[in-house]
Amino acid sequence: MPDMEREFRSLLAESGEAEPAPSSLKARLYSMLVHKQQKSGPLASLDASLAAGHGICVFEKLVQISPVGERAKSPFFCEVCHARVLAEHFDHPPIFWDHCPYVKFQES
Amino acid sequence: MVSPSPIEFREPDSATNTETRLISDVLAKDRKATAEFVSRCTDWIYPFVRRRLVPRTELVEDLMQEILLAAWQALPGFRAEADLRSWVLGIARHKLEDYYRKRIREYELAEESDPEVDLAVMPILEQQIDSAAQQEQVQKTLSALPEPYALVLLWRYRDEKSAREMAELTGKTEKAIERLLARARENFRRRWKNA
Repeated sequence: MPDMEREFRSLLAESGEAEPAPSSLKARLYSMLVHKQQKSGPLASLDASLAAGHGICVFEKLVQISPVGERAKSPFFCEVCHARVLAEHFDHPPIFWDHCPYVKFQES
Repeated sequence: MVSPSPIEFREPDSATNTETRLISDVLAKDRKATAEFVSRCTDWIYPFVRRRLVPRTELVEDLMQEILLAAWQALPGFRAEADLRSWVLGIARHKLEDYYRKRIREYELAEESDPEVDLAVMPILEQQIDSAAQQEQVQKTLSALPEPYALVLLWRYRDEKSAREMAELTGKTEKAIERLLARARENFRRRWKNA
């Protein structure tokens, strides 16, 4: 009996290289979590993101420099971006913008 | 001339600093920090969960959603002295155990009248193959098993849960778990030969 236990323990032990998480999975999980965050109030504004030292993408930059109030800079702009849609469905989508989280998921 | 400060400050560990900063930004609902948090957590959790959900790998995403949500909701209680990776993996382990418990409990109820396994006719794992091929064959064999058999084997031999612990967690007797394990091993052996 102990031999059998040892045999199964050795066979089923965790080994080998861990398979990396697909970037499309990261993209879907990220969108899901941001949606949950939005349910409990607005996201931090783009100004706050910049002040915290994070980069923002070219589309977010357009909103960030617009003469609008803080509140208008809080929505999840990726919601209407094709980069999100592509990244959620493909692991190597043709998207290349700097500071786009969906692009970064492919690099990690 | 500037006199030296009488107090020497020790630089806090930079990895801890980065994690603390990341967590505080995620709690402030910063979208970029949230992306970084998701990316890191997914890298840690994905292989852990995937290897423990064979053969139902289509459930990986649902379970990962649950784990990430639970981690985000519990984040205000995270203490900086802990390591974020271990903390997140602890949440993943609990969620997986919930799933194992549910599936094994359901299965045992349906299988109570099954005939006993004839231990005398069980073939043995006599094949000697290299490690990579062996891992592939293990995955293949587990994937071919009925789910509760695969789960009980993984719980016992990958996560090292004793039959008593599994019995307590599923609300079953130790004898029932031993019987389930025996059937699972026997099935595994038969399929291993054919894999």
